[in-house]
Amino acid sequence: MAEMLQNEVRESVLTEKDIKKAYTRWYNCCEISNSYERMQTVSFCYAISSVLKKLYPKKEEYVAALQRHLNFFNSQGIWGSSLLGVAMALEEEKAIGKDISDETIINVKTGLMGPMAGIGDTIDWGTWKPLFFSIAASFSMQGGIAGFFICFLFALVPFLEGWYLSKLGYRLGREAISKLLEGGWIKQLIMGSSILGLFMVGALSASSVALEIPITFTMGGTETSVQAILDSILPGLLPLALVLGIYTFFRKRGQKFGRVVFFLLGLSMVGSLIGLF
Amino acid sequence: MNLVVAIFAGLWFWFASGCWGYTFHYVLKQPLVMALPFGILMGDIPTAMIIGATIELVYVGLISPGANIPADECFAGVISIPLALLAGAKPETAVVLAVPFGLLGTFLDQLRRTVNARWAHLADKYAADGDEKGLFRCAFTYPLAAGFVMRFPVVFVAVYFGANALESLLGYLPEWVMHGISVTGGVLPALGFAILLFVIGQKMLLPFFFIGFFAVKYLGINTMAAAVFGVCIAVLVVLISNQNKNDILQTVGVGANRDDDDDDDDE
Repeated sequence: MAEMLQNEVRESVLTEKDIKKAYTRWYNCCEISNSYERMQTVSFCYAISSVLKKLYPKKEEYVAALQRHLNFFNSQGIWGSSLLGVAMALEEEKAIGKDISDETIINVKTGLMGPMAGIGDTIDWGTWKPLFFSIAASFSMQGGIAGFFICFLFALVPFLEGWYLSKLGYRLGREAISKLLEGGWIKQLIMGSSILGLFMVGALSASSVALEIPITFTMGGTETSVQAILDSILPGLLPLALVLGIYTFFRKRGQKFGRVVFFLLGLSMVGSLIGLF
Repeated sequence: MNLVVAIFAGLWFWFASGCWGYTFHYVLKQPLVMALPFGILMGDIPTAMIIGATIELVYVGLISPGANIPADECFAGVISIPLALLAGAKPETAVVLAVPFGLLGTFLDQLRRTVNARWAHLADKYAADGDEKGLFRCAFTYPLAAGFVMRFPVVFVAVYFGANALESLLGYLPEWVMHGISVTGGVLPALGFAILLFVIGQKMLLPFFFIGFFAVKYLGINTMAAAVFGVCIAVLVVLISNQNKNDILQTVGVGANRDDDDDDDDE
C-alpha cells in the first residue's frame, strides 16, 4: 500500500476529520502517560501519529517524523492543543515538499509550550475550575444532586475550547500563532479571565478558609474573645493573612507546595494542642 | 455490601486517577462527583452529597501548575466518603478523615510519574519501528494497567478494612488531634487559593481579589452571586480598558496608554 502511493504527487491536505482525530486522542491521553522524564511527550507523539502516517507514506520518513515528536514536550492540555494544530500544519507543508527543517517544527513547539501553558493555567485551571466546582458545591451543600452535573461543565467547556484551539493552530500556522499571543484579543481574554478568577478566589477565600482564635479573656469586667477583637478590626483577618502570606512565600521562594502543606499541618496541630485555635 | 463498596472505590480511584481525558478525569476525581455513585450504592444520596460538597470546598482552589500535586482530592474522597457513610459520621468528621488521606495520595501520583518513564523509553523503540499500535499501548494501555496495580489495592484495603478500624480509631484519638486535623481542613483551602493567586499572578489586578473577599465578608453574598458579579466586573473592565485605549489612540495618536500585563514573575 505504502509503496503504491510513493510515486503519486502528494497533495495530501489534512481533513477536519484528521484534525479532530488527533485532537481527541490528545485530549484523552495527554496526562495518562505523564512522567517526570518526558512529561507529555509520548502523548503528543501518539496523538499526531495518525496524521503523520497519512502525510508520510514512506516508512523512513514516517519513522523520522515520529521521532521528531518524541522530543520533550510539556504544555497545558487545552491551550497546548493549538500547538498540535501548528505541528500538523507544519508537517503537512513539509510533506508537500516545502523547505521546513526538523528544528523549525521542534522549536515552534518548545518555544510556545511555556506561554501556552501559562495562558491555559490562568483560564482553565485558574478560572473555570474554581468557578464550576465552587458553584457545584454550593448547589449540593443541602444534599441536592445538581452539583454532580454542574461539575461536568469542567469536562465539556475546556474540551470544546481545545477543539477550537487545535483547529485555530492548524489554520494559522506558526507565524500567526506567535502573533496571536501578542495580539489584542488574547490579552483581553487573559485580563478578563484573571479578573474573574481573582474575584472568585477572593470570594472563596472568604467563604471557605476557616481560622479563628477562640481564646476568651476578661477585660474590664466583660468576657471577650480574641476573635471578636479581630473581627472588629477587619472581618476575616486571619484567613486573609494566611492566603496572602502563602502567596508571598510562593513569590519569594517559588512553588514549594510540600513545605506549605507541612507548615499548615504543624500550625494546626500545635495550635490545637496549646488551645490557640 | 462492604465488599461491593470497596471494589467500587478501588475501581473509581484507579480510573479517575488514570487521567483519561484532560479535564474529564479531573471531574471524576472530585469528591463531589464521586459522592453521587457512593450515595446511590449505599442508599443515602443526600448525606453523600453533603459530605462530598464539604470535602470539595477544601480542595476547590488546589491546582498543580506543572508541578507535583499538593494534595490528592480523589484519594481523599474515595476513602473518606464511603467510610464516613458506613460509620454514619458527620460531614466535619469526613473532612478530618479526608485531609490526611489527601496528603498521602500525593505519593501515589509521584510513583505514577516515576513508573511512567518506563513507557517513554518503550515508545522510543516503537517509534523507531513506525509502530503506531505500540505507541498507543505506551500512551494508554501500559500506564493504565500499571496504575491499576498501584491504585486499586490500596483503596480497596483501606475501605474494606477501614470501617471497623475507623470506629476504634476515632474513639482512641485524643481530642486535640481530631480538632487539629479539622483546623487543617479549615486552613488547607488557603494553600489552594494562594496557588491560584500565584498562577493568575498579575499584581496590578490583585484589588479584584480583595473586592471578592470583602464582598463575601461584608455583604455576605453567596458563591453563585459572586460568580455573577465576577463575570459582570470582568466584562466591564475589559470593555472600559478597551474604550480608553481607543479614546487615547484617537486623541493622542499614540498606542500603549498603559501596559496591562506585568507578568514579571515567572520563576
